[in-house]
Amino acid sequence: MYQYDTLDKAFVADRSAEFREQVSRRLAGDLTEEQFQPLRLMNGLYLQLHAYMLRVAIPYGSLDSRQMRKLAEIARTYDKGYGHFTTRTNIQFHWIKLKDAPDILDALASVDMHGIQTSGNCIRNTTADPYSGATDEELDDARVWAEAIRQWSSLHPEFSFLPRKFKIAITAAAKDRTAAKAHDIGLMIRRGRDGELGFEVIVGGGMGRTPYVGPTIREFLPVNRLFSYLEAILRVYNRHGRRDNKYKARIKILVSALGSAEFARQVEEEWSKIGPEADLPDTELARIRAAFAPKAFEALPTRSDVFEAAKASNPAFARFARNNLRAHKKPGYAIVEISLKEIGATPGDATADQMDVVADLAERYGQDDIRVTHEQNLVLPHVKLDDLPAVHAALATAGLATPNVNLITDIIACPGLDYCALANARAIPIAQDIAERFADQDRAEAIGELKIKISGCINACGHHHVGHIGVLGVDKKGEEFYQLTLGGSGAEDATIGQMLGPALPADRVAPAIDTLVEVYLRERQDGERFLDTFRRTGVAPFKEAVYADAH
Amino acid sequence: MRALTANRLIDGEVVFWAKGQWVERLADAELFGDADGEAALAAEGHAKAQPTVVVEPYLIDLTASEGFWAPVSYRERIRALGPSNHESHGKQAEGGAAVAALQHAAGAARSSGRVNLIKRK
Repeated sequence: MYQYDTLDKAFVADRSAEFREQVSRRLAGDLTEEQFQPLRLMNGLYLQLHAYMLRVAIPYGSLDSRQMRKLAEIARTYDKGYGHFTTRTNIQFHWIKLKDAPDILDALASVDMHGIQTSGNCIRNTTADPYSGATDEELDDARVWAEAIRQWSSLHPEFSFLPRKFKIAITAAAKDRTAAKAHDIGLMIRRGRDGELGFEVIVGGGMGRTPYVGPTIREFLPVNRLFSYLEAILRVYNRHGRRDNKYKARIKILVSALGSAEFARQVEEEWSKIGPEADLPDTELARIRAAFAPKAFEALPTRSDVFEAAKASNPAFARFARNNLRAHKKPGYAIVEISLKEIGATPGDATADQMDVVADLAERYGQDDIRVTHEQNLVLPHVKLDDLPAVHAALATAGLATPNVNLITDIIACPGLDYCALANARAIPIAQDIAERFADQDRAEAIGELKIKISGCINACGHHHVGHIGVLGVDKKGEEFYQLTLGGSGAEDATIGQMLGPALPADRVAPAIDTLVEVYLRERQDGERFLDTFRRTGVAPFKEAVYADAH
Repeated sequence: MRALTANRLIDGEVVFWAKGQWVERLADAELFGDADGEAALAAEGHAKAQPTVVVEPYLIDLTASEGFWAPVSYRERIRALGPSNHESHGKQAEGGAAVAALQHAAGAARSSGRVNLIKRK
């Protein structure tokens, strides 16, 4: 993975020292809260319901064991022994004291981490395919481009005060694991007619109160022209994006108002003025690419007798293998998904001890490589088939072997009103109720892929708009109610979900989802996922069943 | 009935006003009845004059619950208790009758003080 150079290290250390000084001035009364708030937010420090929350950047969701152990140490020393992995592939600590924040930033800086650009109207952490460098589905390693975007966008003077926050996703596989079409910019690496690589550029997707699937504004951008083109997009947005109304300030509103064709025309016009001098020199790209050089994989047979024997003798391992393993590009290896969705637990939470276990496993069996997915799980991208029984056993001991990836209990949920100052309703207890209702793994597997995503407010951090079943918490006459949407998708077939009907009280959400699942099982045809059945039948049979119960 | 709440600057802890001091338990908070409107506003004024002690003080509405006073709004009940997904975290970890009364409190409304705060911004 990419290593900080001395300049990077010096900068992050300086920023930490600067923040220590700012905290000291705030506590002494030399800075008002109004003056201090933007400074702390620029370091990812929010004030929430019970304490401060520190959001730490995990660039494109990639970290090593040294960094994971430091996160565990911070969780143990300064928090309540856990952290929360988010849909932006970052980690949040929910019980931070302001007086400790400078020490925490120092601890993070010691492993090349920080909270810079995890808040504010700037370019946030780029989402990349969590299987990058491991899947044979990819045309290139998305991390190379994501790291180049990180370097380009970090403290970019022109793009540090945009009309609103800005999020980029990048994937090089046809199967999209980044929700690229729901980002401000989605980049999908494609192969051109002559074999060269380029980006399909999607602009103006997003969730929040006005969800859009982003339109493609350029079918094929040669990869070496990426940065001048990004600059052109950001410049058009910076110039014309609305600054008068926070709720209309995202680029999606501009793209929608202008129309994607006119927006694209303006970008192309700007791009022609910028020219190729704004692009990344090939030598610089090569330097970054070298940091992601393929690992030294062993030449192994496709079949592992150890792996096959363990599957035959241990049903729990066989189930884990069915649901949590993915094909690796190299024979004899697998991609391991570690679910942070233990039944009844908080989606995305990991204890300090669990973080240490993942770090140990990555170091011992996984080429020291760990990924965070936007679905709030972790990934060990390179594990030998021979080592999988040992990895599984260690995960199981740590409560990390829940075999439910992509199943109905693999639920995304934002922190909601249990923590967040913006939320209208709780999200976590709803996720817990649903998971407990579908705790029977045989039933969950029989239902198959079903993505439930829950947000505690319209800001949609829980991605509810693109859930196969989305759940949105609303404040209805002062009480927590939940609106269900169906048929959303954040994948390559991105779709915004349709509202099912009137919002339901909290205790009716899990039963309603049970009803929806029963309708799906009744209606489904060969091999259909929930989403496929919904697309074929439409909303009517689902709506009828859920609201028939109400009468 | 009303109480005055804020987050403590140095650690973010939820605190309540009690005759010139900030306390961590709602059960120890000073209560302002319908006839104490001026006293409540005076307390809010004192709190706002302590920017190095607390952040964003505001008044919240309370309702009777099992012999205690509980916030009318569920948002404020969560602040006074802690997160519902970790019962050992936050003020609820202490247990006891006052915490149980908050946990059992029904009645839900927006946090009126909070809404006023947002409007002022």
